Amino acid sequence: MRTMFALIALCLVVAVAPREGQAATDFAGKTITIVVGYKAGGGYDKTARLLARYLPNYIPGKPTVIVQNMPGANSIIAANNVYSVAKPDGLTMGTFNRNLPIAQLLKVDGVKYDMTKFAWIGSAASESTILAIRDDLPYKTLDDFKKSNQTLVIGATGPGANTYDFPLLLKDLLGLKLKIVSGYSSSADIMLAIERKEVDGRAGSFSSIEPFIDRKLVHPIIRARATEPGIENLPVDEDLAPNPRSKTMMALRSAPEVVGRPYVLPPGTPEEIVKIMRDAFAKAINDPALKAEAKKGKMELNFVSGEEALKVMREVLNQPKDIVDEFGKYVKFGE
Amino acid sequence: MIDALLQGLFLILQWKALAFMLLGIGLGFWVGLLPGLGGVTALALMLPFIYTMQPHEAFAFLLGMHAVVATTGDLTSVLFGVPGEATTAAVILDGHPMAKKGEAGRALGAALSSSLVGAIVGAFALALAIPVVRPLVLSFGSPELFMLAIVGLAFIASLSGQGARGMLRGFLVGGLGLLLSTVGQDPQAGVARFTLDTLYLWQGLDLVAVLVGLFAIPEIIDLVVRGTSIAGNTPSDHLRKGAFEGIRDTFRNFWLTIRCSLIGTFIGITPGLGGAVAQWMAYGHATQSARNAEERLGFGKGDVRGVIGPCAASNSKEGGALIPTIAFGVPGSTAMAVLLGGFFLLGLVPGPDMLTTHLPVTFSMVWTIVLANIITVAACLLFLNHLAALTNVRGHVLVPIILVMVFIGAYTANNDYGDLLVMLIFGAFGYFTVVAGWPRAPFVLGLVLGKIAENYLYISVARYEMAWLSRPIVLALLAVAIVVILYPLVQARRAQSRKQANA
Repeated sequence: MRTMFALIALCLVVAVAPREGQAATDFAGKTITIVVGYKAGGGYDKTARLLARYLPNYIPGKPTVIVQNMPGANSIIAANNVYSVAKPDGLTMGTFNRNLPIAQLLKVDGVKYDMTKFAWIGSAASESTILAIRDDLPYKTLDDFKKSNQTLVIGATGPGANTYDFPLLLKDLLGLKLKIVSGYSSSADIMLAIERKEVDGRAGSFSSIEPFIDRKLVHPIIRARATEPGIENLPVDEDLAPNPRSKTMMALRSAPEVVGRPYVLPPGTPEEIVKIMRDAFAKAINDPALKAEAKKGKMELNFVSGEEALKVMREVLNQPKDIVDEFGKYVKFGE
Repeated sequence: MIDALLQGLFLILQWKALAFMLLGIGLGFWVGLLPGLGGVTALALMLPFIYTMQPHEAFAFLLGMHAVVATTGDLTSVLFGVPGEATTAAVILDGHPMAKKGEAGRALGAALSSSLVGAIVGAFALALAIPVVRPLVLSFGSPELFMLAIVGLAFIASLSGQGARGMLRGFLVGGLGLLLSTVGQDPQAGVARFTLDTLYLWQGLDLVAVLVGLFAIPEIIDLVVRGTSIAGNTPSDHLRKGAFEGIRDTFRNFWLTIRCSLIGTFIGITPGLGGAVAQWMAYGHATQSARNAEERLGFGKGDVRGVIGPCAASNSKEGGALIPTIAFGVPGSTAMAVLLGGFFLLGLVPGPDMLTTHLPVTFSMVWTIVLANIITVAACLLFLNHLAALTNVRGHVLVPIILVMVFIGAYTANNDYGDLLVMLIFGAFGYFTVVAGWPRAPFVLGLVLGKIAENYLYISVARYEMAWLSRPIVLALLAVAIVVILYPLVQARRAQSRKQANA
């Protein structure tokens, strides 16, 4: 009797096994989960929910794609989970805080992932950081401000956010006369502080400041490396660096912004699946209907390939110890 | 202006907009009722559905949903002692004791009618504020926000027990709340404070998990120990009456309702204070309406004014919170931040344009808030007596259901086991305070206001050095804070002298 069961079991295994091999790349009837490292409602979440509706059209078998929010510790919890708990079967992907490589670089407690070992799909957008100041100030450009020899008060949320780190490096490395006031509960709060002239300006991603630029409340005077249509001609912080070391500091801070909305699969995901997902992302992000929706929602999406994202990760993480130590003096991991 | 007001009303009364509003109300009803499933999450989930709608339809849908959440959240708080929303926890203090006394119907009636008054006051404030909104909001800078937090903390004096011993206990738990508000990564140096080497505590203690534990767990233990239903042995026919008594209570305390609505509106207008503050300040103010020491002792044991005040405030703050969102594109609350995303999707740019070119749309929002609340309250009144009858269900049937709600509610905060641990720890703390007779309200006030006070004090000093202390509104608020602190003392002394005069 027992041998008979064993035989039947063996037959089943033999019968099922080859089909499973194929099924791995056919997602019909399956559910793919996008793990978002933040609560519902933010920029990372919005992008993921938009993609979740368009991705199925470009993945073989038209699977269901759902979004799961796993907030906490500025995405470290979600990244750890996708890194070591999720199965590398293509059914779980993650999108996290773009600054996670910085957390790894600075050896933040609790980091259990290695950004270079994820199976990279790519990034759905690059985020450019700018410094914008009030329109009613007499400085139209960065040079105007530098010549004036006056101090600007810059509002910020806190260390680890681009509202804080970008002006900090401008102040300490480029010698701009800035006074950074941090502790605002959100970038919207800083915007209101600008309206009531409590502060003179703020740093932040171009996409979030753009409505206020359009409204002629503020105008940008300097940007970081990553760029978007409309701000190409602004001075770039790295170009103004007085020495190579300062330039490295600024480059390290802004490198992750090229990979502004990172999407990864667990380490060890089979090559075929990674390829399917990369293709699906590239096509979905160029879907005209998605593009139209993103534009309405003030999201500027453009696909950065997995190879390129991985290159950025290696660039950030392969730094000599003295550079890392100095960088750690300026930049903390956050948001 | 009047033209736009009417145009706004007609926009809402079109059948499509009205249908979307009813759909929103239906959704919001359940979101509010279930603890944990928050209004903000629901808004974020519904956002993609508005792509194909017209602006007034989309806002009828989203605001209709949002306006209801606070109202039905109050119902859960009253009936089970479980906060339906993080913003409706203060209602528990007096609402649930009323349910235990067999007055659930009256408490619900009072909660619903004061919610309605609050919502209408908030909407009126929104309509009236439109011409003056910019100077109004801009006059409140960081120093003023800091002082506002101090005024909030001053309410600890009213929320503590009587006498020196009561005050001492109140300020001790208030201080503990302040201390615990510092848990997490600090915004000035990026240092992780009191995180016990866990990633979970980086973002600080989650208010939902803390409140659910603090209030629900002691009630559940109490229910199990008593072995009866929530309302004890009150005969069931008694329970079914009282709803209209509650409505009459609201109008008996009409000025209190209006004052608490104004407190809520004001906190809503002020971005950066957060919705959870509104109810607690309103509750603090409601306790001040006690005319003598005996009446004051009744608060926390089922005084209907402790229901009316917070309910009015939690609903009026939504109208208020719309003001900075519309006029500046700066959201007054987390829910409004999500709603702001909706503006962009619809091609509307929040800002001065909303007060001129798009004024009818703005007014359609005012009308949505008013209509959604009227519809909800009317619908609730229909089966309010059945809801009240829930307090007559045997404890051993009810407890497992409430426990499931409580655990799921806490877990949805971050989907992390840490949420459950926090809930249980604060549950134990809550039970201890109830048994020992220590007040819980000052603790919540400290926890909610701690971070605000810390950050805005830092900004004020960093930006203005000591000059911020001489700003006129700061001085006015300081005076208010002093009055709030001294009020209970004056009250006690007056009562004493009266007693001596009588003797």
